[in-house]
Parts: sequence; C-alpha cells; structure tokens
Amino acid sequence: MRRIAIVGAGLAAVSTCDALRSGGYDGELVLFSAEEGLPYDRPPLSKDVLLGKARREDIMLRPAEWYEQQGVELWPGTTVSGIRPAEGAVELSGGSVVSADRIVLATGGTPRALPVPGGDDPAVHLLRTWEESERLRERLLPGARVAVVGAGLIGAETAAVAGALGCRVTLIDPVPVPLVAAVGSEIAEALHQRHTAEGIRVVTGGVERIERRPGVDEVVLHVTGLAEPLPADTVVVGIGIRPATALAEAAGLKVDNGIVVDHEQRASQPNVFAVGDVARRDGHAVRHEHWDAAQRGGQAAAAGLLGRPVPAEQALWFWSDRHGSRLEAVGTMADADRTVLRGSPDGGAFTAFGLRADRLVAAAAIDRGRDIKAAQRLIDRGVAVDATRLADESADLRTLLRG
Amino acid sequence: MSNTGTSTGIRVAVAGDIAEGEAIKVPAEQTGHGDAIAVFHDEGAYYALDDTCTHGQASLSEGWIEGGEVECPLHSARFCLKTGEVQCMPATVGARAHRVAVRDGEIWLHPGEEPTV
Repeated sequence: MRRIAIVGAGLAAVSTCDALRSGGYDGELVLFSAEEGLPYDRPPLSKDVLLGKARREDIMLRPAEWYEQQGVELWPGTTVSGIRPAEGAVELSGGSVVSADRIVLATGGTPRALPVPGGDDPAVHLLRTWEESERLRERLLPGARVAVVGAGLIGAETAAVAGALGCRVTLIDPVPVPLVAAVGSEIAEALHQRHTAEGIRVVTGGVERIERRPGVDEVVLHVTGLAEPLPADTVVVGIGIRPATALAEAAGLKVDNGIVVDHEQRASQPNVFAVGDVARRDGHAVRHEHWDAAQRGGQAAAAGLLGRPVPAEQALWFWSDRHGSRLEAVGTMADADRTVLRGSPDGGAFTAFGLRADRLVAAAAIDRGRDIKAAQRLIDRGVAVDATRLADESADLRTLLRG
Repeated sequence: MSNTGTSTGIRVAVAGDIAEGEAIKVPAEQTGHGDAIAVFHDEGAYYALDDTCTHGQASLSEGWIEGGEVECPLHSARFCLKTGEVQCMPATVGARAHRVAVRDGEIWLHPGEEPTV
C-alpha cells in the first residue's frame, strides 16, 4: 500500500491514523476534512464548549505538530464528492482526483432535523459541529427561553448546560423516561428526575409545529401534551443523526442504516473501510454512535488494513455529563434478565448491574466510575459473578475479578 | 520544607498503607513540584506519576490500576506506571514519572527524579 485516503476527520479517522502508524504503516496517509482547522473532539461541544469553558484549541484531537510528526497529510476544508473503489481513487469537489490504494470512510452523520412545519426555522439549532456549538452558545443567555427537543444524551446535556447558564429550559421528549434500554429503568429514572430537581421543565410530548411570532425574535412550539403553545427564544433539537452514507451509496457499497462492515470495518468492497458513526457492524442491530466505539473502530480498521489480528472486542462504553453528575454505562442493559443495585438511588450516586444468568452483561452508574471500570472487566473477561457481592458495598469489586 | 530534596525524598506512606491496586495522591504543596503526584501500588511494586491526567482535569490516583498501567477515571486514557508513557487515546502526552523507593518498609517519593527502570 502506498496511500490510504481517509474521508472525514473526527475521532474515528484520527484513531485510524494513529493505529496505522503505531502498527508500522509507512505509506502515505491523507485525511480529508470537510471542516476548516484541526480535527477536534466532539463530546465537549454539548458540555464545556457550550459553557464557554473550552475553546477550539482546547478540544483538538491532536496538536498541529502531530500531523507532521506522524506523516498525516491533512486537507482541511476539502469536500470529497465521490469515491471510486474499483480504480482506487477519491474525487474532490474542485474536480481533482486523488489516487488511493485503500479508502476509509469516516463521514460520520448529520443531525436529524425536526420533521415538522417550522422545523427549519433559524431559531432551531442542531448540535454536531464546533460552529453549531458556538452559534448555540451565543443564544444561551441568562433568562433566555430554551426548548430542547429530545432528552437523549445530547438533549439532556444541552438542557443541563442551558439551565446552568441561567436559561429557562423546557425539555421535551415523547418518551416519559428516556434511555431505559441503554441504562435500565433505575438509572434512567434517577437521571430524568434530576432535570426537574434542577429547575428544568420536563414535558412528555411531541412537537407538532413551530411558528415564528411576527415582529419579534421568538417562536412558539405546538406540543402534544401541552395545552398552551410554548414560546421560546431558542430551540435545540437532539433527536439522533442520519449516517452520512451518500458517498458509499453512490459507489455501490452495501448500505443499510449505515455502511455495513465486518469485524475489521471492511465494507462490501474489499479496499474500502468505514469507521465511526457512519458504520454498522454486520449482525449488530444498531450503529454504536459513541466516542469509545469510534476509537475502537479506528483500531480495528487499522488492523484490517495492515492484515493484523483485530483487537479483542470490548463491551460498549459511554459517558454523559449533566447537572454536575456523570453517567457511565457499559454493555447494553436490554441484554440483561435481572438488575442488581449497588448503593441507593436516593443517595445520588449508585450503580445498576445487569446480569444474564451468572454473567454480567451491562452496568450503568451515576458518579461511580470505578464500578463501571470493574464492570467492563467483568464483562470482557466473562467472569461468573455473585450477585450478592455486587450489591454489597463493603465487597471490593476487584475481588470479583479474581473469580 | 525539610523533608523534600532529591537525596532523601518524601516519606509518603508505610508498606500496607496503599492496598494493591490502589493509589494515594501526594498534594502539590508537599511534592514541591507544581502538580500533585500519584503513588500507585501494582503487583507488589510502587510507581509515581504526575497526578493530573495529561488530557483532562482528572486525578490519576482515582484511576483503575492493573497490569502495569493506570486508566484515567474520566475518559479511559491509559499510562504506563513505570515510564508514564501514554498507551491509548484520548491522551496524547505522557505523564511524568518519578522515582519511588521502598526503604525499611517505608515508601519514599523522589519528585523530579527519573524512575530507576
């Protein structure tokens, strides 16, 4: 291989570069970034960036000199308009063509817009990029009325930040308690109740339309479950993303809720790989749109590109920060047939372990990260666990790892 | 401070104070080094690294210690306990390692001194 082209420049792309170089790849590496500037980390966009605590230079994935040291040729502000897997080439929007022996698609996703009348009003914000985060931050002024649509991770974090900045926040979701499938009902309920405790108005309902008030810079949301229309200065929509599969589809790759890839992230054309939010593992029901999954996907792709064994799979891990608390979860709670709690939900910090027979399959915790680190290892090593010891706060979870 | 200095170091604990797989945080005022230093106990040996993760505001003394590495409690960056070398993202910069010596059942930290590998 003389040249590998990577389309997209988020975490999965940079992780791929990193693993390729540490794996001994010494050919050319070209990274096409649609955005300007150095590649950055996205989790802070709904946390410290919105809070004004992190600037662009604080969230760089890698410092500028890394690209030079690692021989990664970054093309910022470059839009790839097509890929040609058969001949090994990438087309740029300006008309030029760059040859590449292997192509890695790391195109991510685009936030879903609210599919209702007025869903595209200028007051309605989506949150995926640095620019979008910056634009939203300028709107989160003390006293501003902010409606957040979608109470998943991005929505919950954004609502918490807006509240902390002194906005009057309404959080709207059609599901009474979001995230149950991911973290289980105990943790999900504790998290959701916290919004109300922090002064956020929580509404169970769906947005039917958004109307702009004439002559003033505000909109009203018509929401099922609310008798009165809801006025807002700013609306934030966090209802998931669509995988950016256009390039893959145009090239005839197999696409079905993401670019379908195998265990080494190889797409249906053998010289094309896909990583990050845009990829879906064949056999997995969902795309794993998490930071850790993006990082691991890059490592698996690098192994596949280099013909090396793929690193062992690990249970999916994610975190979310809201209201000064930290949610962490590992595995998928929906896989469990029973739940064991460690600590009390009333005390703020507690952990829910999900078991199937005598194996741990998932865990979710509020402000108990060490429990999650232990759980990750218990899951990955397939250790049989004693449920009473999981629940016993005086028992050190490390001792369970020794069987 | 009388008990600092590269020749003698700082007595931070006695054997048994730091359980296997645990760490203590020696505050910056005591290390005289600008940052707090975490002293780790892993598989019978003691190691010391700058306490603050090179990626974010997290204390490595609260990390998961196993297999010669510490995993940051916040975003799971891992560092080699012996050398401080970064093992995986999101950190990109290694943590500074310091020498630890066990003398007569006491654990002595030598801030700023290279560990003896």
